[in-house]
Amino acid sequence: MDISITGGRIFYTLPIDFPILGKFQITETLVVSWIVMLLITGLCIWLTHDLKVEKISKRQAVAEMLVETANNFVIGNMTEKFRRLIPFVAALFATSVVSNLISLTGLRSPTADLSTEAAWAVVVFIMITAEKIKAGGLGGYLKGFTTPIFVMTPFNVLSELATPISMACRHFGNILSGVVINALIYAALAVASSALLGLIPGAVGDLLSQIPILDVGIPAVLSVYFDWFSGCMQAFIFCMLTTMYIANAAEV
Amino acid sequence: MQVQELVGIVPWTFVAQICNLFIQMYLIKRFLFKPVNAMLEKRKALADAQIREAEEAKKEAAAIKSEYEQNMQEAREKAGEIMTNAQKTAALQSEEMLREASAQAAAIKAKAEKDIAQEKRKAVNEVKNEIGGIAVEIAGKVIEREVKEEDHTKLIDDFIANVGEAS
Repeated sequence: MDISITGGRIFYTLPIDFPILGKFQITETLVVSWIVMLLITGLCIWLTHDLKVEKISKRQAVAEMLVETANNFVIGNMTEKFRRLIPFVAALFATSVVSNLISLTGLRSPTADLSTEAAWAVVVFIMITAEKIKAGGLGGYLKGFTTPIFVMTPFNVLSELATPISMACRHFGNILSGVVINALIYAALAVASSALLGLIPGAVGDLLSQIPILDVGIPAVLSVYFDWFSGCMQAFIFCMLTTMYIANAAEV
Repeated sequence: MQVQELVGIVPWTFVAQICNLFIQMYLIKRFLFKPVNAMLEKRKALADAQIREAEEAKKEAAAIKSEYEQNMQEAREKAGEIMTNAQKTAALQSEEMLREASAQAAAIKAKAEKDIAQEKRKAVNEVKNEIGGIAVEIAGKVIEREVKEEDHTKLIDDFIANVGEAS
């Protein structure tokens, strides 16, 4: 049995060839991203409609809890002066978590595409750099690369660049590993169930062996780790690193 | 259907995802943080207002209490004054009454003494007359003749006066 694990499907390719960017493609990643955005926004609107000052509903309590959690997370990891970054970190976390968990519905996670994580990591990297320049000035920022001695400059540049790359690859790798292992498990269980039911003699066995009965239920156990745990954990780690790096950059 | 590479960066997807992230940030800010923060702000304002109100009420209560205490103090003072006055008046009245009573008693006593003296004088006179009579009678009997009472009145009187002095 052949299995192939590929990237997202490409639904439509715009026939115009842009310089550098190439042809615009509507990929599975983008479509699912939009679904994720719709879900998050819909959830926000549903949570916050009809807010009351007192005698709040459970729905409002959840909305308040989310806002409080985001506030505490950002202000706890950074400081009060990064209050403006709360919506950004919240958006990052929400998008990441929902993107990771949407694979439970059978859709392909947008986070199983390196483009997504690379985009986020580059945004975070620009923010880190901006904070560093703001804290020490452009000269101070550039001078920071030559510490402790001038010879270290290439390594410092590398370590600086390693930040977004490691962030992106860590998240992507975890999600991709889930995708790959899920695909392998599904295929393996299909082969196993075909072999098992093929033991039944006659036409009945032939018919039943076509149905990958073992694929029902068993992969869900693995999904507890690869989707639920890994999905939430990676989103958390990504946001944690974002806040830590930006807060550290401002301290220099 | 075409598929993209398993691991690779598609430039357009990359750009689109950056845009998506910022759009998502705006949407979350607009639809979650803005209303919830506005509501929290309102709740905070309400709580502040309530605390302020409570403080005002407390201040008012304290003012009322001090006023009440002052009134009580005044009332107590007034009551004390009234009591002292009453005691003073009562003492004066009782003194006066006593004085009056003693004066009355003295008057009664004086009158009684006067009466007694008068009675005594009267009795003495009566006795004097009687004794005079008796003496005349006895003298008459002694001398066996009528002694004219009128002739001897002076004599008798002298005698009685002597008796009175002797007695």
